[in-house]
Amino acid sequence: MAKKYEALMLSMPEITSDEAKNLEMQLDKIVRAGKGTTVSFERWGKYRLAYDVNKNEYGVYFLMRFDVPKGTNLVQDLKTAFKVKFNNIVMRDMISVLDPKQPLTYQRPRSLEEAPAREEGFLKEGRSSAFFASADEREDIDVE
Amino acid sequence: MTKKIKLKISARLVKKRSRRAGSGRKVCRFCSDKEQIHSVDYKNATFLKGFLTERGKILPSRISGACARHQRAISQEIRKSRVMALLPYSGPAF
Repeated sequence: MAKKYEALMLSMPEITSDEAKNLEMQLDKIVRAGKGTTVSFERWGKYRLAYDVNKNEYGVYFLMRFDVPKGTNLVQDLKTAFKVKFNNIVMRDMISVLDPKQPLTYQRPRSLEEAPAREEGFLKEGRSSAFFASADEREDIDVE
Repeated sequence: MTKKIKLKISARLVKKRSRRAGSGRKVCRFCSDKEQIHSVDYKNATFLKGFLTERGKILPSRISGACARHQRAISQEIRKSRVMALLPYSGPAF
């Protein structure tokens, strides 16, 4: 019976897509070497951290889910890999067991990339003229 | 000038007890609605934020209304979230 695990990783904000792909490939390699299978590897995106981690205010989260067959030391290998191999890229990691009865859906906070861009609002150049105009001029200006 | 009425000792004690009693028994929202327990996850920082004070401290169960079992689950997930920098350990109160 394969146990389901997930690993949440916090990496440096400057991580490039190539480095992320490299990370994914190397983790997949470790998982396959331990006779497991990678279920999913998701990039959550860039987040503003709750506190500075390794002097970084921002970070990129990755979530990897994988199956581990019985009798292997895959989880231990992954932990050492995070400590040794990915020391420079991955700042924090958390490996946890998934409840087999629970669905695989989960909720997560919104990343900076997903957050809607702030609307310019009425202080946009075109619209603000009415606001700054004097009382006499205001009657003439068409407010868009 | 109204004269201050000094109550008898027994009346004062009754008043004190009634002042301390809360506004009715709170039901644990996780015990009553089984689906909500799936939201208690260290990744779900937006949901867990509702169980923190302004300064980032974990709310006691008498405020959050959770039963002991679910309060432990919430606390554990908050502490895991804090390690992953999804929730703060402490913060300034605005």
